[in-house]
Amino acid sequence: MLQYVIRRLLHMIPIVIGVALLVFLLFTSVGEDPALVALGQHATPEALADLRAEWGLDKALPLQFIDFLGQIISFDYGRSFNTNEKLSDIFGAGALISLSLTVLPYFFGALTNIAIAMLIAFYRGSLLDRVSTALFVAGMSISYLVYIIAFQYVLAFEFGWFPINGYATGWDGVPYLLLPWIIILVVTAGPEIRVYRTVFLDETKADYVRTAFAKGLGSGRVLFKHILKNAMIPILTNMVIGIPFLILGAFLLERFFSIPGLGDILITAINTGDFPIIKGLSVLIAIAYSFFNLLTDLLYAFVDPRVQLS
Amino acid sequence: MKSLALKRRTSAYLEPRAVLATSAMALVLCLGLTGCGGEDGPDSGEGTAGTQSAPGDARSVFYGRRASAHKNLDPVKQFDQASSEIIMNVYDTILTYHYLNRPYELMPLLLEEMPEKQADGVTYSFTLKRGVHFSDDACFAGGVGRELTVDDVFYTLKRFADANVNSKSYMLIAGFVVGLDEFREKTRGLGQGIDYAAHDVAGLIRIDDYNFQIRFTSDNPLALYPLAAQVLSIVPVEAVDKYGVDFANHPVGTGPYTIKEYSRRGTIVLAKNPNYHERYPTSGADGDEEMGLLADAGKQLPFIDEIRMPLIEESQPAMLQFRKGQIDWIGIDKDNFTKMAYRDESGAFHLKAPFDEQFGMYVEPGLGTEFLGFNMDDKLLGNNKALRQAIALALDVEEYIKILLNDRGLPLATVVPHPIAGSERDIGFERRGVDIEAARQKLVEAGYPGGEGLPELVIEYRASTKDARQAFEFIRYELASIGIRVKANFQTFSAFLKRIETGNFQILTFGWAADFPDAENFYQLLYSKNRTPGPNHANFDNAEYDKHYLASRFMVNSTERYDHFRRMSEIVQEEVPIVLRYGTLRFGLYQHWIGNMKRNIMIGKPYKYLRVTEGRKDPST
Repeated sequence: MLQYVIRRLLHMIPIVIGVALLVFLLFTSVGEDPALVALGQHATPEALADLRAEWGLDKALPLQFIDFLGQIISFDYGRSFNTNEKLSDIFGAGALISLSLTVLPYFFGALTNIAIAMLIAFYRGSLLDRVSTALFVAGMSISYLVYIIAFQYVLAFEFGWFPINGYATGWDGVPYLLLPWIIILVVTAGPEIRVYRTVFLDETKADYVRTAFAKGLGSGRVLFKHILKNAMIPILTNMVIGIPFLILGAFLLERFFSIPGLGDILITAINTGDFPIIKGLSVLIAIAYSFFNLLTDLLYAFVDPRVQLS
Repeated sequence: MKSLALKRRTSAYLEPRAVLATSAMALVLCLGLTGCGGEDGPDSGEGTAGTQSAPGDARSVFYGRRASAHKNLDPVKQFDQASSEIIMNVYDTILTYHYLNRPYELMPLLLEEMPEKQADGVTYSFTLKRGVHFSDDACFAGGVGRELTVDDVFYTLKRFADANVNSKSYMLIAGFVVGLDEFREKTRGLGQGIDYAAHDVAGLIRIDDYNFQIRFTSDNPLALYPLAAQVLSIVPVEAVDKYGVDFANHPVGTGPYTIKEYSRRGTIVLAKNPNYHERYPTSGADGDEEMGLLADAGKQLPFIDEIRMPLIEESQPAMLQFRKGQIDWIGIDKDNFTKMAYRDESGAFHLKAPFDEQFGMYVEPGLGTEFLGFNMDDKLLGNNKALRQAIALALDVEEYIKILLNDRGLPLATVVPHPIAGSERDIGFERRGVDIEAARQKLVEAGYPGGEGLPELVIEYRASTKDARQAFEFIRYELASIGIRVKANFQTFSAFLKRIETGNFQILTFGWAADFPDAENFYQLLYSKNRTPGPNHANFDNAEYDKHYLASRFMVNSTERYDHFRRMSEIVQEEVPIVLRYGTLRFGLYQHWIGNMKRNIMIGKPYKYLRVTEGRKDPST
């Protein structure tokens, strides 16, 4: 097990270096000159040279790339070109805010979606199944942005049930998060329930379910002891793969609800050409994906003893 | 058949109650923990929207909106609208623009009166107001803001000229003050942290703590305008020294407000400076008195106790908050304009019902000009006047404004926007309209009848946005009607700048926003000595134009000056270095409980003049 984890962690190194190289080349080859963007077209050559030296842009490209790798290892990505803030501060604060937006609906959404999926899988082919399937497919077909605009307009503006927009820290922030939470729950319901329903349907067809009932086990025991446990691998895959998005937040939600999480920070950075932020977050996303992929594999072994990690 | 059988078996195995109970339990758990807020729920807290005041709170609060996060609150380094909105309310400049009068006119802000010109014609005497203090801050001894003196003005001017500090805006004052350019050159070798007091500038003459003189390089009426620019807001040396790089996030000024709460990505709260030194203007433009804009004449500023400025980047939720009464002032974007306002046959703008009864709307011509410029160095376009004239005659600027700007623009006959003295209104100059037949004739004269034999022309765009692409499609369609083919080169801004610098272009889109409200600032765009890398990107070189430009440059506005402007405009119309000129219009909505609202483009959003009157709507309703 330990050997497997170490081996997988070592495999992550070339992946991260590859992503870093790709991101680095992309920004150095097609990006604008950051010093020129920062100082404007009337900047003196001296000022441009000074700023390039301060940001390490005067070095040869291989040396700049080594600097970038050093930043990745130390988690110190330097400072924002636009605001001169330390990126580690921006990322730290932004990640916490994004997590406050996404963690709660992530877990509650998973719980409710699994429950609903079990319910409609049980009633497969019934009116409930057909109606809910149609509703969820319709729901999946609607853009995230439409949900945001419609819910913001109807529930917040017309009915006044929620604040239209805003964010506060601590418990004061909960009222501002309620509507985004609801939107996340609604948006994720369709695709997740459809997936989980299929998973449960596959499991209920399995021989071991018939055997379990033949042995005289009750529905609850078969459901939770056998079906749910066997369905956990695809469920876990679906859930864990979504974890990086928790940290990164929900781009559109953060933008439209003025929640200053990492998603909003990334969009602003793209709009304003703040390359250190874009570069830093791109690599962090790659690391997060690699890490949570590993976590998924480890959890497989945890929920299903037949899975051997070697 | 198989699946049907299986379905029956599965249903028989599982107890419906067990599934229902499990599902319901999960749902109840979720709803119980997330819950929906009732009347005392969501609207009762204090959030970044900042719309909730405590009941019985007698303070007057203005709810603004920041559409983007600011970059830098150091005045000399600010270059974005978001920073400017905060700086103008925290800092003061030596001069400012009259809030109400139009055309825009300079007035003293930190001075007792307007600077007095001395007999030599190049020296001006300034007297600072006494008793003006910087806001209290830890950078001062005992944390108490000290009095503003001449040393602060000179420190600010020298810091502005320091090449190590200011790389962006020095051109605003370059060549104006005796010795300042030389000082700037000297700073290049001195690095950061220069002791400015140790370096005298010949044109900055200190008389005492409150009196000083500035000697300009020529008798130039434009020289005073930079002193009203926000980049020359007066800063104290103590704050710059104490906070260093972080001075960008720690403004300390003499302005009407101080920063009470600071969050770049959240809400910025400004608190009233109770000892502010300025009073509301006692005169205004025609109609201002009837509009009630002089009801507070002579009263101590500012009126509003607190300004709350949450960051709301998307216009849709911002507009919903405005309609709910949670924001007091908002601009109208293109989409909301179509929904909420219209232009009548006379050209006047109105709000549609029911918005007309809920809100006030202002329409203010902007101080910018947009146009297409030909590269006069281009062998094809620069040497073929008839071809340029054909293009000018084929492009319908009115249609362009109607289709692409939703009517939110004004065609311009000259390069000067309407609100500036010396515009087409003052000089009596008429615009030549679209004439397709004449354009075809000119194309024949140019040697390309029906466009035959004319290579495809390239138009450079500084972005690849939807707006840029739509604008290009319009131009392509219009020019195709006379047989001219064009293609677009959409690119990044720095690539666009490189094209301009190297002269590697045929046609480009560009615009100019006024540094100061004088027509010279626009006519210089075609002065031959200003060719690239200067602002004359068309590289227009016409001796007669230059002669009139130089003759009018430093004149005060007069019939004689306007004659020069008219002749320059005739030359531009004939030679066509630029086409498709138009000025934009600024639209905004404000709540009916906001008093003294008049949009002043030159000074932006000076909240100190505004007042919150009776009738504020309860934002939770």
